[in-house]
Amino acid sequence: MELIILASLIVSTFFTALGALSHTSKRAIVFLALQAASIGFVELVYCLLELITGLHMEALISFLAAFVEWFTSAAVSPLIIYWGVIKTEDVSEKPLIHNRKVVISIVVLPVLWLTLGYWFSNILPERLNVLPFVALMLLLSSIPIVYRKDPLKILVGLNMAENSLYPLIAESPISLVPFMLGLMVFVNLVGIFVVMEAYRDYGTTLVSKWRLNG
Amino acid sequence: MYSLLPLLSLVVPSFIGFLCLFTYPFRFLESFFRRIEKVALLFATCLTLLIVMTMVPYVLSGEALETPVFSLKVDLTNIAGAVGIVLIFLLVSIFNVEAEKGGRLKPSMYSFFVLLFLVCMLGLLFSYDIFGIFLFVEMTVGVSIVLVVHNPSKLSPEASFKYLIITAVSALFVLLGVLTIFILTKNSHISSIVDNSELFRENPRLVMLIVACFIVGLGADIGLVPFHGWVPDILPGSPPTINGFFTAEPIAFILTLHKLIYPFYVVYPSQTIILLLLGIGLICIVFGVLSAFPQKDFMRMFAYCTIEEFGHMILPFGLFTSFGFTAGQFYLVNSSLMKAGLVLCLGSVLITTETSDMNSLGGLIGKMKNTAWSYIVCAFSITGVPPLSGFYAKWILYTAIYNFLYPHVGIMLSLSILMLLICMSIVSLVILIRSFQQIFLGQPTEGLNNLKGIPWAMWLPTLILALITILLGIQPNILFSLIKQP
Repeated sequence: MELIILASLIVSTFFTALGALSHTSKRAIVFLALQAASIGFVELVYCLLELITGLHMEALISFLAAFVEWFTSAAVSPLIIYWGVIKTEDVSEKPLIHNRKVVISIVVLPVLWLTLGYWFSNILPERLNVLPFVALMLLLSSIPIVYRKDPLKILVGLNMAENSLYPLIAESPISLVPFMLGLMVFVNLVGIFVVMEAYRDYGTTLVSKWRLNG
Repeated sequence: MYSLLPLLSLVVPSFIGFLCLFTYPFRFLESFFRRIEKVALLFATCLTLLIVMTMVPYVLSGEALETPVFSLKVDLTNIAGAVGIVLIFLLVSIFNVEAEKGGRLKPSMYSFFVLLFLVCMLGLLFSYDIFGIFLFVEMTVGVSIVLVVHNPSKLSPEASFKYLIITAVSALFVLLGVLTIFILTKNSHISSIVDNSELFRENPRLVMLIVACFIVGLGADIGLVPFHGWVPDILPGSPPTINGFFTAEPIAFILTLHKLIYPFYVVYPSQTIILLLLGIGLICIVFGVLSAFPQKDFMRMFAYCTIEEFGHMILPFGLFTSFGFTAGQFYLVNSSLMKAGLVLCLGSVLITTETSDMNSLGGLIGKMKNTAWSYIVCAFSITGVPPLSGFYAKWILYTAIYNFLYPHVGIMLSLSILMLLICMSIVSLVILIRSFQQIFLGQPTEGLNNLKGIPWAMWLPTLILALITILLGIQPNILFSLIKQP
């Protein structure tokens, strides 16, 4: 794996961990945007360099596809969730389990990952060497999904999990990019629609209170 | 054989759906559309059924209809499922005429999403492109959540959010599996798995990883244990009509799961894959039956019965034998039709009485005679009572399981597993008969005396489904002729 790719993966993993620990929805959204921006940055730079050096149509299409993909995950999806925050409330909440346990999880997970990564390195072909990082980011993204009561933070976790697959998605055919992005935006819009409907029905965005108020 | 029919079966409902959506921004069209929305839905499903039925003679003559540009293929491995899905959609659309009373979505949006859901189901069945499958899975997640939240009740947002999280995370697992295959083979057609068999044979643990991704990903969408968390919330939280449409979902998802895993089994015939699927199937059956038994709410009871049925559906596909596939398809289509019958009957009760608490119901047979008879026939069929189609489905299912298990584990264990399955079916029968007795028999409770009868559009589909089970019980070859091993 190239050093620059490794660096971008480490930075995005760091932002994923910070996003998992955020107390407010707005801060979680900022970390989501930063995670998405950092994870797609290298691919974008590669496509730009290819465009500058090659100056051919194929390179331009690749660059545009990479840019749209990067922009959607780093700007459009976070903005959709931010719109949800504005329409409902920015809940400041501690995770369902104590912060200390979350921090322990965040320390334990990379250790587990290193162990798994060692096992993975024996079985994975060269082309899939980013898979351990993807697995680690998926695990970290699952923290807000599992431990949070605020559905907007859960949506942030879901987007972070989706972003963590970016190094693999970048390999997919360009013709599929618009469909995949369209669906990503669609699922986010559906999620925000559900949260707004729930807020209207229950008067709160906290999942734990939905049943009580229902 | 090159054919545009598979593509047409996706384009027609999409086109009518978009026509419905077109009326959304125009207020002057809205009042007009309110009058025709149900007819439009009925027309779209009728037309789709017509297109699917047009494909049947070609498929029966041994042809495979292909639209290669979109990697769509219809043959004897998926035509029965397609007919089952469109038939369910048509019957539920008839039910929809009287049952749909409006909700959070405008009529145009509602019709658009229902038709998009039909497109997703058929797309999943026909697509042989792994990215195509992922796109349809992701689209199904979004569309089904919108349809659940359409219910104006307070239960629906919570249920749909739970559903969103579980299924959206599961879709990521499908994507992970799909991307891994594509990165390794640089080809997105399912046949690339067998074409690159050496690559996968060298990496058996990677094969297991991909298979696990698909089982987790699609298993959560189907509602298999332990990813079933959303099922008991979704059924009480969705509108009855949407529950009817959802009964078609397992046909598409289970056949897709088989379509994705089977090539890996051909490449690397591991016992672990079989054990995994059989284990999940058995756990679903036991968990579903035991959880359904104490339920007082008939929708929750039915949700757990559904989980039990998912177990039965997954078992024969996990055998990876040709007879297992035939038995599995027969069971899958028959069980989905019967589930549609049951859920529409329960939906009629819910709409008429506005309660799903079985303790506060009773004596409805006088007011809902056709619904009551349809309910008991479908209940008998789904639990395998002769001479209905369910009996035949269970018979070939048990035969397939016994034929597979006997040479591998011996007579004692094979018989024990069969006995367990039969016992679970008997308990399931008891649960459904008890629900029939609580809802339809006895004296009507206070407040139910003044109920009017239900409109024909609500009992007709259930009666048709009951007649189908009798017909398929007498003549199972009608469905059998549409099925072949992969």
